[in-house]
Amino acid sequence: MRVVIAEDDALLREGLALLLRSEGFDVIAAVDNAEDLLALVDDADAAVVDVRMPPTFTNEGLKAAETARRCRPGFPVLVLSAYVEDRYAGQLLAEGASGLGYLLKERVGKVGEFTDALRRVADGGTVMDPEVISQLLSRRRADDPVQSLTPREREVLALMAEGLDNATIADRLFVSETAVSKHIGNIFAKLGLSTNESGHRRVLAVLAYLHS
Amino acid sequence: MSRDRLRRWWRALRYLVKELGAGFVSLGLIVAGVVVSPLLLFSGGWLIVPLIVRPLRWWATLARIRSARYPGATDAPYPPIPADLTYQDSLRVAFSRRTARDLIWLVGHGLLVPPINLLTIALPLAAVNSLLVPAYWYLAPAGDPISSPYPVTSWAAAAWMPLVAVAYALLAWWLVPGVAYALRWAQVKILTPGRKARLADRVTALTASRAAALDAHGAELRRIERDLHDGAQNRLVSVVMMLGMAERSLETNQDDALPQLRRAHEAATDALAGLRTMVHDIYPPILDELGLDCALSSVAGRSAVLCTLDVEGLHRVPTPVESATYFVVAEALTNVNKYSGASRVNVRVRCEPALPGADSSVERLLITIEDDGHGGATERTGGGIAGIRRRVEAFEGTMQLTSPAGGPTIMKVELPCGW
Repeated sequence: MRVVIAEDDALLREGLALLLRSEGFDVIAAVDNAEDLLALVDDADAAVVDVRMPPTFTNEGLKAAETARRCRPGFPVLVLSAYVEDRYAGQLLAEGASGLGYLLKERVGKVGEFTDALRRVADGGTVMDPEVISQLLSRRRADDPVQSLTPREREVLALMAEGLDNATIADRLFVSETAVSKHIGNIFAKLGLSTNESGHRRVLAVLAYLHS
Repeated sequence: MSRDRLRRWWRALRYLVKELGAGFVSLGLIVAGVVVSPLLLFSGGWLIVPLIVRPLRWWATLARIRSARYPGATDAPYPPIPADLTYQDSLRVAFSRRTARDLIWLVGHGLLVPPINLLTIALPLAAVNSLLVPAYWYLAPAGDPISSPYPVTSWAAAAWMPLVAVAYALLAWWLVPGVAYALRWAQVKILTPGRKARLADRVTALTASRAAALDAHGAELRRIERDLHDGAQNRLVSVVMMLGMAERSLETNQDDALPQLRRAHEAATDALAGLRTMVHDIYPPILDELGLDCALSSVAGRSAVLCTLDVEGLHRVPTPVESATYFVVAEALTNVNKYSGASRVNVRVRCEPALPGADSSVERLLITIEDDGHGGATERTGGGIAGIRRRVEAFEGTMQLTSPAGGPTIMKVELPCGW
């Protein structure tokens, strides 16, 4: 898989490239600004982008991701950020959640999960940082249907919102896939969501629900 | 005593003569103004209003200086209009209360001073003349006799003239200092902004400086956030990433793990060093202990290159500006010591009004660092000079570096600051 990296910190940029190469990715370029990234979008299968880059060091990466996905709809972008902000997540998801990831930078430390997330994004999946989900969950009001979920159901909901599929959720929680399916059925019923959704559409439905 | 009074009288007379001359100039300016003012009626004529204001302010300022020189007058500060104003600003100056005062003064000065001063100055001359009339009255043609203040047509009439001279002299003796005093008093009164106006100015200045101080604090917080993000935070992400890679290697190819751990170790050490510098730079402890003045002396004292420090008019500035000043000087001196090859360096720190103009509200701190080294200093990304620029620009200050090959190197930093 051909990957382009956009990160302005030299040491991190080199490190990321090294990491991805050693994990079998084909890093075609590692650039330090949004413009160079946009020039390479057509040659890559996916991009790993830092939110803060020159010149203003605010959200150039986010804007670049949006631009890239407007030029090439569904272009897989994994956005990395020093801190997460569910508002940014909402902004990213506004134009389609397929092939989109939003992770805290330090998640690169769990190499297996990070490369897994990148692969899922490249395959058109959605990856949300657990931090975003917990921000969203913590802001629910007392009378919210989310409050009626059991602790286990909340766990499942959070993992689902991160973009994991049933098998992975089952793995993480050490339960069977059928148990996960059952939980998900309960959650959707309690929240009043349609159970027909699957894959990233299901993630989107959950995130949209949490964002509302 | 009487000699003293004579000297004072003489000074008053000179003042009146000077003001008489100036009064004629004012009169000329009024005439010029009356001639020019119809131009203002045409569309776009108001564009020249600021141009008219400038000579007016200049002329009024000269009067202010003359009045201030006359004994007994207090010096009335009335700053000139700054040279580089936007058109908006110059319009604001043009229609300010100060300009109105200047205008009132000009009209009064031009129309009243020439006649009044002429009459007053004529008094001592008249006294001298009256004294001399008995000596020459008969030279006047019979049809047009000397007639001041009465026609002198006989020796009897002429004999009274010395008495008239004494009357004139007495009048002059009292009126010359009196008129001079009144004139000076009136000019100072008109040309000096009133207590109310001065208080209003002060309030405006304080409001602006308070806002500037708050801005400075905000800017400092943003800078610290940036530094933390770009420095320690990113380094720690690197550490985590390298540890992750090492962990991965331990599972697959154990030989790769050691170098990766070493890199993680290095990155962690880096992060720590960065944090240490940053924490120190946020607010150097020495500033707290000694204050800016002494802290600067201490930095200058530590310099290996002979450093002269010249601090002037320094008073309390917002803490972030203080620590920025300290940072700039310390960083610049480090550069001088490391790279310049200089034998001496001079550091000058001064406080002065932001705009040397009527509406100056926020002071600025000027820092000049000049060495006699070989020059050729350049700004590199991540270098000390770039660091100075970044720190200064956080406060919307400016940094100028001139360093031609062969030297000297001069760094000029300007920091706005409240007080």
